[in-house]
Amino acid sequence: MASIARPRPDEIRRSRGRINWTPYLFLLLPLALYLVWIIGPTFYTMYLSMTNWDGVSANPTFIGLANYERLFRDRTFQESFANNIRWLLVFITVPTMIGLGLAMVFNTEMRGGRWYKISFYAPLVLSGPVIGLIWAWVYNPRAGLINAFLRGVGVESPPGWLADRDLAIWAIIFAAAWRQVGYVMVLYLAGLKNVDPQLVEAAQIDGATRFQLFRRVILPLLAPVTTIVIIISVIDSLRAFDLVAIMTNGGQRTQVLANFMYIEAFNNYQMGYGAAIAVMLFAIMLVFIAWYLWRSLKEELDY
Amino acid sequence: MLHFKKHHLVLVLVLFIAVISSAVAQDNVITFSSYNSDPVPRATTEDIVALWNEQNPDTPVELSTVAHEDFKQAIRAYLTASPAPDVLTWFAGNRARFFIDRDLIMDFSSMWEAEGLEDVYAPGFSALATVDDGKYFLPTSYYWWAIYYRPSLFEQVGIEAPIETWDDLLAACDTFNAAGISPFSIGTKFRWPAAAWFDYINMRLNGPQFHIDLMLLKESYTDPRVKAAFETWGQMFEHNCFIPDAAAYDWNEALDIMVQGEAAMYLMGAFITDSYPDELEEDLDFFRFPIINPDVPIGEDAPTDGYFIAANAANPEGAMTFLNYLGSQEVQQNAFNEQGRLPTRTDVDISGATPAVQKGIELIQSADYVAQFYDRDTTPEMADSGMNAMMDFWSDPSSLDDLLLELEDDRIRLAAEQATE
Repeated sequence: MASIARPRPDEIRRSRGRINWTPYLFLLLPLALYLVWIIGPTFYTMYLSMTNWDGVSANPTFIGLANYERLFRDRTFQESFANNIRWLLVFITVPTMIGLGLAMVFNTEMRGGRWYKISFYAPLVLSGPVIGLIWAWVYNPRAGLINAFLRGVGVESPPGWLADRDLAIWAIIFAAAWRQVGYVMVLYLAGLKNVDPQLVEAAQIDGATRFQLFRRVILPLLAPVTTIVIIISVIDSLRAFDLVAIMTNGGQRTQVLANFMYIEAFNNYQMGYGAAIAVMLFAIMLVFIAWYLWRSLKEELDY
Repeated sequence: MLHFKKHHLVLVLVLFIAVISSAVAQDNVITFSSYNSDPVPRATTEDIVALWNEQNPDTPVELSTVAHEDFKQAIRAYLTASPAPDVLTWFAGNRARFFIDRDLIMDFSSMWEAEGLEDVYAPGFSALATVDDGKYFLPTSYYWWAIYYRPSLFEQVGIEAPIETWDDLLAACDTFNAAGISPFSIGTKFRWPAAAWFDYINMRLNGPQFHIDLMLLKESYTDPRVKAAFETWGQMFEHNCFIPDAAAYDWNEALDIMVQGEAAMYLMGAFITDSYPDELEEDLDFFRFPIINPDVPIGEDAPTDGYFIAANAANPEGAMTFLNYLGSQEVQQNAFNEQGRLPTRTDVDISGATPAVQKGIELIQSADYVAQFYDRDTTPEMADSGMNAMMDFWSDPSSLDDLLLELEDDRIRLAAEQATE
């Protein structure tokens, strides 16, 4: 194209006529949907966050950044933010490592291996609220499985778990991580299937120890899976909602941003304030999205 | 693949039929959204609707019942939808006022006039229905709150019911604890059972007028009287009056602890008997919340439930006739007989009441002031902040001063917002 110095006017007309509109036509519908369902609401939420709309009145009043000023002074916001960060830190480390470990174990042929895989994967089939209910029973201070066991072995006053504000958030995160482990395991199992056995054999012939094999050969080959696992963990921990809503309803210092937003918007009829929380959540997500994009772009440039 | 397509066809067909039939039916069907999701009230509501449908096959009522806690959140969407459900269950007081102020509720003064309801409703209930001379609400039943207790456990440790003073209450806590029985059961997972304690202590200590002014955001949360109320409540923690880990249970789960005889008392609404096992109800009684300051008038919580019509209702005429039926003498009589809900009409025959219900009526009638409930008397957001603070106070009584300062911040902001509306 660059070699064409200056196309004659009739050439331009012809090439314009040759523009193939079909792909754009196909793009039109998804783009319209994307605008209506994603981009539009995103900007509308940003606008709402600067109003004091109650969710039912016809005309929201514009109040500038007042919602954000209030948000940064709000103790519940600080608590929710801290809890989401705790959730995130646990999620990107503990289930990832356990899931990887399980995947390594189950990747070898063993008797009943499939059964074990299924039993670790099974929790993922359950919906969040069901997991919340089950674990709320398990944690029940009087009749729950854990405290029944603790009393059985002679602990006199076992902890209150979800009723204890120092333990409650960790108890919920544990229940969430329990579900996540199976998910991570399956992702890594799929990744391990793609590891070229020749590379493993070559390393073994070269006399690599099992640890060296894992650390220098398998783990680097699993890097793309690890990226996906971390992205999923980050997204799951930032949108944490159902377990908190079911298990404590946000009490005992277990509030998280999504549930906090829901309560302000739908319980307290403070749509504007709820929108401000949503925007903050979006901003936090954006940090991770930017990191991911930066990483994948850098990889593409490297090629 | 073929099978898959068949599935789709069936789905489309079902949707098509659903849309068509709803379009056809819209003229005469009356849609009714109810939060009566607990077994006993649910059955009663279903019976009432079934009876109507039998008598009025041309204008059938379509009942949809939604779980109580979910309904509270969904109602905003119901009322702003077009068309909205015609008739909805709701609470009197600030909770109704919020929607009435936003023009989402229909004024049905014409029905009140045509049916002469003013003559058969007690003045207090008529007032609950009125906003600026319009009638927006039909209060149909109310219930009392009291301290429910198990007489057998009282007998076992040698405490005489009723407990009439605050000191006696604290002493009873010590006695029960010494006997290895938790004095009070309570489940605060959804917070409101704790709010009842604040309502009562504040009313008994500072009087109902101060309480209601606080609810209306006219009094300050940093007022020493509010602090005194919390500190009085705090004495109960010092005496270990409540079951441990109360925040782990909802109100029903906490009731089990009382049913199993491990707790002796429960501050709860009269609907406690709906969930209490029938065979144990002989061993369940109640008394009025003890007096703290004998110099102030007595206030009681007696939340009133009822119905209203959405401003966007598709069938306002049908809604009014059905509402008139819901508020009728026969339906209220039935609710009273079946559930022990107290009627708002004066022409309901209450002579057949069980001794317990008669005692409840007396409790409310002898009160100087009747409040709705913390989260019904104050604005939704203030109620949320207030109940959060109560839970924080419960976990850490020493944080009280900070909590009250935060509540005062919220109150000032909300009062200012209210003033500009």
